[in-house]
Amino acid sequence: MNYFEKSERVIYADNAATTKISDIAFEKMLPFLREQYGNASSQYILGSKAKLAVENARQQVATFIGAETSEITFTSGGSEANTWVLRGISDLYDNKIIHIITSSIEHHSVLNACHALENKGIEVSYLPVDRKGRVSLVDVKKAIKPNTKLVSIMLVNNEIGTVQPVAEIGCYLYKKGILFHTDAVQAVGHIPVNVNELQVDFLSASAHKFNGAKGTGFLYKRLGLNLPAMIFGGEQEHGSRAGTENVAGIVALGYALEESVAEMQNTATRLKTMVDNTVRGIQKVIPSVRINGDEENRLPGTVNLRFDGVSGDSLTNILDMKGVCVSTSSACNSGKDVSSHVLFALGLSEEQARSAIRISYGKYNTFEEVEYVVSAICDVYNKIKSAI
Amino acid sequence: MNDKDCYVCGKENLNKNEIGLTKKLLSKNARTYFCFACLAEYLEVDVEFLLVKIEEFKAQGCELF
Repeated sequence: MNYFEKSERVIYADNAATTKISDIAFEKMLPFLREQYGNASSQYILGSKAKLAVENARQQVATFIGAETSEITFTSGGSEANTWVLRGISDLYDNKIIHIITSSIEHHSVLNACHALENKGIEVSYLPVDRKGRVSLVDVKKAIKPNTKLVSIMLVNNEIGTVQPVAEIGCYLYKKGILFHTDAVQAVGHIPVNVNELQVDFLSASAHKFNGAKGTGFLYKRLGLNLPAMIFGGEQEHGSRAGTENVAGIVALGYALEESVAEMQNTATRLKTMVDNTVRGIQKVIPSVRINGDEENRLPGTVNLRFDGVSGDSLTNILDMKGVCVSTSSACNSGKDVSSHVLFALGLSEEQARSAIRISYGKYNTFEEVEYVVSAICDVYNKIKSAI
Repeated sequence: MNDKDCYVCGKENLNKNEIGLTKKLLSKNARTYFCFACLAEYLEVDVEFLLVKIEEFKAQGCELF
């Protein structure tokens, strides 16, 4: 049974989880799944056309983040790119006890990679954040040890949308000669990202977060910085990442990024207004609602709201039945709520953390949908409150 | 009426799925429960829809069901 049929429509307001592929990206990738299906490593024309398309996408990415094409390596997504940096640095210093600094609110691809490295004896410091979810440069400075080899701080947090002071941290680390990685998965395509302004050595991104296809991302590595291979095989991606290129996905990535960057300013203005309308609309009916994270310095389309006294899990489940897709910051595992490590890091209690939902609008959302989302959230909230 | 009966219609001895769904959708601390029909009416959805959701929650590993 397709239970979406039960709802008159589906409103997707979870664009921080994934996005709908753009029409242009979709159209551009199709030929590489059908007529031009050649392997980019093959010598004949079918292959060289695929290779050309991959290099065109590499140029598009390089242009938009201020990099050289040789600094871009395509990956399967953000998690692979993040894991590669952390493991790679660890492998470079094999048999040495190095120190890595990260924040307590990173994505699990960073945190779990760090936990795995700790099991190998590597030292990791997890920096705290303030109530807005921001890492401070002071804390970075305090955490640095003589054996600190890498700092990894995300550019935008995926749960609360807070933008981190990456350029400020990058400037300091550059002077100290410490490598700096940023997980920019939630940022690329949504806010201006320039690797030179941020002064990062590594940057990870994922196509499906900016209306590209799933299964494709990239890692920026500053010129001269090489990481040991994580995948063994052929000489693809300048010999740094083996495996037949996902040509169609890479092509879609390039065009999706080009389109997102071209529309960025207009989209950001629209999304910010949508979020403002959402918060104001809900506050009119539910004055106790609170924003988790930074009220100002955050991604334009993302907001994390707290409805004290009501479970975020209940809200999202009933909203789903009403055709509204938003996400909770906690996941229900085996009947137990597992609260968000990000919200705990902000200083929220377990109950507060459990009462949060994330709304993340994207470029395909309309103001009419925003009105419906507000109305549905208020309606569902009141139903839950009346019943318990 | 005892605490395992439907809070709205009084249907007696609600089953594990009815109690689980009330907890899952309204509050895990719920002390009063809804039968499927009353919960569907309250949330303005079909009973079949709720049954599909139960299977979905089970597949996710939720032990409330």
